[in-house]
Amino acid sequence: MLPCPLMSSGNAAATVRQSPGPSSLTLLRQGITDILSRRRLIRYLTAADMKKRGSDTILGNLWWILDPLLQLVVYVIFVSIIAARPAPDYPLFIFAAIVPWKWFSAVITDASSSVLTAGLLIRQIAFPKIVLPLSTASAGVVGFVWGLVPLGALILLHPHRLSLMLIWFPVIAAVQFVFTLAGAVLVSAANVFFRDLGNALGHVLRLWWFLSPGLFSLQNLENTEFVKTHPIVGTLAGLNPFAVLFEAYRAVIYGTADGKGLPHPPDVLALFYLLVGSLVFLALSIMLFKRVEPEFAKVL
Amino acid sequence: MSRSSGYAIKAVDLGVRYNLRLTRKTTVRTSVANFVLRRPPQRFWALRHVSIELSHGESLGVIGPNGAGKSTLLQVLAGIMRPSEGAVDVRGQVSGLLGLGAGFDPELSGVENILLGGAFLGLDDVKVHELLPSIIEFAGLGDFIDAPLKTYSAGMRARLGFAIATAVDPDILLLDEVLATGDANFRAKSKERVIELVRAAKGVVLVTHDMEWVREYCNRALLLEKGRVVLEGAPDEVVKLHLDRTAEEAAARHAAALAAGIDPAALAGARGGGRR
Repeated sequence: MLPCPLMSSGNAAATVRQSPGPSSLTLLRQGITDILSRRRLIRYLTAADMKKRGSDTILGNLWWILDPLLQLVVYVIFVSIIAARPAPDYPLFIFAAIVPWKWFSAVITDASSSVLTAGLLIRQIAFPKIVLPLSTASAGVVGFVWGLVPLGALILLHPHRLSLMLIWFPVIAAVQFVFTLAGAVLVSAANVFFRDLGNALGHVLRLWWFLSPGLFSLQNLENTEFVKTHPIVGTLAGLNPFAVLFEAYRAVIYGTADGKGLPHPPDVLALFYLLVGSLVFLALSIMLFKRVEPEFAKVL
Repeated sequence: MSRSSGYAIKAVDLGVRYNLRLTRKTTVRTSVANFVLRRPPQRFWALRHVSIELSHGESLGVIGPNGAGKSTLLQVLAGIMRPSEGAVDVRGQVSGLLGLGAGFDPELSGVENILLGGAFLGLDDVKVHELLPSIIEFAGLGDFIDAPLKTYSAGMRARLGFAIATAVDPDILLLDEVLATGDANFRAKSKERVIELVRAAKGVVLVTHDMEWVREYCNRALLLEKGRVVLEGAPDEVVKLHLDRTAEEAAARHAAALAAGIDPAALAGARGGGRR
């Protein structure tokens, strides 16, 4: 994945401070120790991030609320024009996906520049760099909580869909957090070595959103002619982590995909598989991050 | 390496290699192009075959022209950079003043920057709050301490950075050109503080262009040129060699300029400036 940086310190003799080729498990353990021992730094950086966001723009943190609402308006108009008859209570149908997606895409975008923008500090102080994407991810949680305000309001506007199934919501969000964190750690390190990754990322994220069952449901997709003749596409679409997440959010907030059934428990098995997969992804991301971390001071 | 020898810092045959291709802003496009065209990696040794051993209570002055690898050496000792070859062992808590004046976050106030700086340096919360009044007092910024860092002048920022970094009592102190920050008043004050720290610290490595300082406060000196050790030994001797070589180089440049028919004075004015 990253050919040059991994090898540039390959033939080094043993150093006492840091041996040149520690095993991946050692790296993982170091990464976790870094995170646990620097929780306060992560907290400070998160607070600084929130403060900056709040002070840099006129409406401050209100954008966390406005942004998904404006997106909602755009998509509702858009889909009402091109689709003959969208699902009943369509705004709630898509908003159950817009808010979580906003969380994910904002964190990944911010994380991609998190190590780069700290270049000056990295050349001056020895600190575990993994705190940078981590604080971006935790700032994202705060933003997500803001985004729950309009989501909660929209749910209250559809009182017949309000149910106890909402207790599943934090569970689904927790799985998404692990997946998001893994992605944040990965892109923050990769962007140091490939500076144009940030450009590509915007397009990848947009494509990912439209390929995920956010504006439509997996069931809608399976009913299309194309997927009926190419069932493999439907299978692949179901393997998308955000297919699992969006379907789960929709199940507990909105109900069945056709809009007739009331909220029900999510596909717990799929969520469990996604959680396990995300934990593996997170472990691999931390290993990769720790592997290339010593090169940051040279490259930045 | 045996634990019985009482060194504070030991570095054996250090080498730091930069991959020039990576230090330029790399993109996927250039990486693919390099791979397809099979361009060999361009490499550059910022530091090579450098061995130092510092006992407790010693103060080592590192001198040399710009781009000699002095700051890179400090970065390796501080643990910021991993050596490409050789071994490094640093015993005890290290505090470094490497490139002051950056501050930590321009949007945050002075006080918040102190707290953030403490967290970056890995100090525990109680300790930082304990040190807070003395840091604020030493920085001497008045009401500005509650204003965002972006409203500070460069000198004010340097004062705050210096105050934060010297607040801790480290075992090993790494100093990079810190004696040239702030106004005359603050310079005197900071010089005092550094002397204090030098006395208290178990080991000091100092990068400077102030030869008087090296002669007066260091008990050993190291001359680096182009990443290689030219001489290591008594400060007087090393400083003399450095000054001689600098004068020699200047004379050679002067002669070359005359031979080329250029006014050497104009050339001297055009020189200067570090790597960053």
